[in-house]
Formats: sequence, structure tokens, C-alpha cells
Amino acid sequence: MATVVRILHWACRLILAGVFVYSGYIKVQSPLEFASAIAGYKLVPDAYIFPLATYLPWLEIGLGALLLIGWKLRYVALGAAALLLCFTVILTVTYARGIDADCGCFGFGQKISPLTIARDMLILLPALLLIFESRLKRFADGWSRA
Amino acid sequence: MQYLYVFGFGRKRIIDSGARVMTRISMITVLLCLVAALSQPALVADQSCENCLGGGLDAPIKIEVFSDFQCPACRSLYMDTMKQVLRDYSSSDKVCVIYHEFPLAIHAHSREAARYALAARKLGRQQWLSVLDSLYSDQPLWAQNGMVQVSVARALSPSDFQALLKLLQDPSINQTIDRDIALGQERQVKSTPTMFVTSLGREQKVEQVLPYPVLKSFFDKVVK
Repeated sequence: MATVVRILHWACRLILAGVFVYSGYIKVQSPLEFASAIAGYKLVPDAYIFPLATYLPWLEIGLGALLLIGWKLRYVALGAAALLLCFTVILTVTYARGIDADCGCFGFGQKISPLTIARDMLILLPALLLIFESRLKRFADGWSRA
Repeated sequence: MQYLYVFGFGRKRIIDSGARVMTRISMITVLLCLVAALSQPALVADQSCENCLGGGLDAPIKIEVFSDFQCPACRSLYMDTMKQVLRDYSSSDKVCVIYHEFPLAIHAHSREAARYALAARKLGRQQWLSVLDSLYSDQPLWAQNGMVQVSVARALSPSDFQALLKLLQDPSINQTIDRDIALGQERQVKSTPTMFVTSLGREQKVEQVLPYPVLKSFFDKVVK
């Protein structure tokens, strides 16, 4: 059982890091296009859109790199989960408002839909597994002993 | 897998070392990707400045717009963003604005409007700007009734308008439109407006209308 937890740990880390680095990399390449995606959400004042489009991708890349390195993993996973939760809430609110905006999540040109919201929620799972890993380990140990 | 146990490797160790190798490979990939992203060269763009609406080709920032006169989003881009860019940045030669005609087949009058605009361009930049301004301002009118000429006539002096009517007979105008469309297709333009913003050796493709404050923040970052 401990082996399963270990495999799960590495799978979650690599998947989550890959997702964050890829998503950040795409946005770093085209901050203006990402800015236009943010503008489409009609949530952020115009003056803050470009700075957000410039720095948010670097935050994503930073989180991805930290997940790979493994430094303060639980806290980094917590940060990643918070960011993903934020994205999910924003996507849901924008979709509920009936705004036909570009998701801007992994590349451009994909409109917000229940599918994009579900995908964000799915990505949240590995982050939650990393946060609650110690509990999972305890549970696994108990299971092995039993 | 069995022989690894013989040599003293535990299952945990195998998983950990495998994952560490993958982590290292991933990190190297990340670094290489970032270097590639930051050093991406700009595509070689059209070097002639005959379609520069504002600024010169030596400006530090270049915006190429593929636009359709009858598309409402193109109107919004011109009226709410590009006019201010032309006023605040192109006049001081910080931004070069290039307009390419990209009339879509679904719009009945956009090719005709593009023909008028190109004829006006042959008269001079000021006349071109006036016609562009008038065509986009009156778009809701002529898009309905097809009276493109009325809007163009309003933008020019009578003598300029007469000269423009003569220029309109020039077959090179249709050729220029076809060349612009071919250029757009070559550069994967799928919708209008599509902008290509080139600065610091990098090109960014934007397929939506950018609010002016967003572009302004970007310009101010590049040209301090």
C-alpha cells in the first residue's frame, strides 16, 4: 500500500508540475493574447490586466518548478490548489454570467464551457492529494497493518 | 525488476530514483523551453511602408492589423483602441501601425469598402486615415444600405474624391486586396480583427479586441 502512495505522490507531483509549467509557458510566450483573454472575463480593471498577464504566468511556472524540486511541497501544493480553486471559481462565475470569453487556460481560442470548468476541478485533485498525503499515508499504514 | 532486489534495491528506492530522474529531465525541459520562449525570433514582416497608417517601420513596436471594414469587432478595435494608439504613440513614432485588408466573404460590402480605402491610400496617408475613420464610423449605416460611396465622399474634399474615383479603376487595387488576403492566410489569420504585435524581436498574435489601457501598459513597458 505504501508503494501505491509513493507512486501516487510522484504521479501527482509530475502531473501538477507539468500542467503549471506548460500553462505558464504558453502564456509567457504571448502576454498580449493572455491579456485579451483576461479582458474577456470582464472582472479585472483595464489598468491591472497587462501586469496580471505578465506576472501570473511566471507564478505558475514558479509553482511548477517548486513542485518538481519538492521544496516545502505541502505549502507549494496548497498554493497551487488555492490558485486552481481561484481559476475554477472565476471560470464558473464568468460562465454563469453568460459571458462568451476565451478560457486562456492552456493556449488560446477555447471558450469557457462546463468542460473547461470540469478540467480545472480535475487538476485540483492531484494538488489535494499532495496536501493530504500524510493522512493518506497513515490511512495506508493502518490498512497494511489490518 | 527482480534483479534489482538482488542487488539491494528496495521498491521504494526504485520508485524514488525513477521519479528523481524524471524530475531532472522535466526541469531541463522546462529550462530549455523557457530559453526557447524568450529567444524566439520575430518573423520577417512586410518591409514596405506603403500600408503604414501611422509611425514608420523603424518604430520599436509594430502592429499589423488584418481587418474587415464590415466586421463590428474591427470597428470597435479601430474606434476604441487604434485611434488612440495612432494619436498617442504613432505620432511620436513609437508604434508603427500597419493595416492589411482582409474582407470576409460573408460581408457583402466589405470588399467594396476595402477598395475605396486602398484608393484613398494612393492619395496619401491623411486621406487614407480620413476614409478609414469615416468608413468605420458609418459602418452601421452602409453595412445596411450598401452606400459605401456616401461615407467616403463625406471624408474627402471634392477634388480628392474625384481623384479617388479615377484611382478606383486601377486594377492594382484588387490585386493588393488579394495579396493582403493571401498574406493573412499564410499567417494563419482565421478571424478579424487579428493583430500581430512585434517588439523586442518577438511577435505576438492577438485574435481579440484589446482595450486601449492594456495596449498602453504594454507600450509603456517596452518604450519607457
